Amino acid sequence: MKVLVKCFSQVKYAVGTSELALDLNPGATTADLETMIREKGAGELDDVTLRTAVNKHYISEPVPLEDGDEVAFIPPVQGG
Amino acid sequence: MIITPQELHNWVSKGRSFVAADIRPDEQRHHFPINGLEAITATAENLPPRKKEPLILICQFGVLTEELIFEQNLKNAYSLLGGVQSWEAFQTDKMDLSRWSRQTILTEIGIAGQRKLQDSKITIVGMGGLGCPAAQTLAASGVGNLQLIDGDLIELSNLHRQPLYNINDIGQAKVSVARKSLQNLNEKLTVIAKEIHLDESNAQELLKDTDLIIDATDNMKTRQVIDRTSKAENIPMVYGGLYRFEGQVAVLNHNGSPGYEDIFTAAPTGGDTCAEAGVLGMLPAIIGNIQALEAVKIIIGIKPDLSGKLLLYDGITHETNVINIGGKA
Repeated sequence: MKVLVKCFSQVKYAVGTSELALDLNPGATTADLETMIREKGAGELDDVTLRTAVNKHYISEPVPLEDGDEVAFIPPVQGG
Repeated sequence: MIITPQELHNWVSKGRSFVAADIRPDEQRHHFPINGLEAITATAENLPPRKKEPLILICQFGVLTEELIFEQNLKNAYSLLGGVQSWEAFQTDKMDLSRWSRQTILTEIGIAGQRKLQDSKITIVGMGGLGCPAAQTLAASGVGNLQLIDGDLIELSNLHRQPLYNINDIGQAKVSVARKSLQNLNEKLTVIAKEIHLDESNAQELLKDTDLIIDATDNMKTRQVIDRTSKAENIPMVYGGLYRFEGQVAVLNHNGSPGYEDIFTAAPTGGDTCAEAGVLGMLPAIIGNIQALEAVKIIIGIKPDLSGKLLLYDGITHETNVINIGGKA
């Protein structure tokens, strides 16, 4: 199944892009996807809190993904 | 030329001679009569014969009469700023709101909304990249009371994104210079300047009497203190944050909407400061103004606002994402 990953702030700079189109195995969850994104970050996201939104809605627990989902990974930002 | 309700009131009080002409349609004149001023009925096509006395042209909002004076190149003629709307508001409490006529003409704001802004007290925590533009537009828009909290002094590296300060202000307290700048912008504004860093020990005392808090801080720890105090005191908080070319805005702890710790957990990590990550000068101006916009909407009651939502703005692509974070919107 295909999902679109949107990367914000530190995630964008760590993985090198603001969007990733990925083909995942059926049954994959948001937790699986977060692991993949952290690995792509090559250590730069190890100490970064990430919140996840599926189709523009925050989720508090990992959920199974469906074909066509848009998943956003949002870190906190400090600048003011 | 324009004349404000206050100035026209002074002319009337002093017995100065002038001719006032009301160019509004009959229906508008019927529904919104002019009090405290003798005005003859006229139209844009049929103005009264010109005499030596100044001519005061009056319409509902003061826009058509300004255009008329410009288009017909009328000499010794004045448009009543804010029109009958501002004149009538002035009759009520002698408060001249005509300088805000370009926003009171908006039905969502009107005189009632402008009075709410005038009566409101907003606290801005952090007078840096976000705090400066937020304070500037809140002051300009007619917010009556601002409390500014920041313990920092102005540095050269601040100037590219903090427009209330200039090269001569380096080394001075941000809140003191900001107060002067803002009161030059709006002399009716009351500014309380607190040269102090907000922390757990003083937050409740500093924030308890405010209507709304603008979180314009540059660190997670202070943001969390504001969040806890905002929730405990039931005072809405407009959060803003920056990272390089990106910004975030959310309205937190407003009528049951989530707080900062609901968005990023109780002890989030990551997110460099502007000093560490860098920031383009225009970005805080954009995000700080969105924070000010949300603040004005909450004070006046314009819906929907960003309660229960997190706005993410990218200054490179201009893409805006609004994420639902739950709770009541």
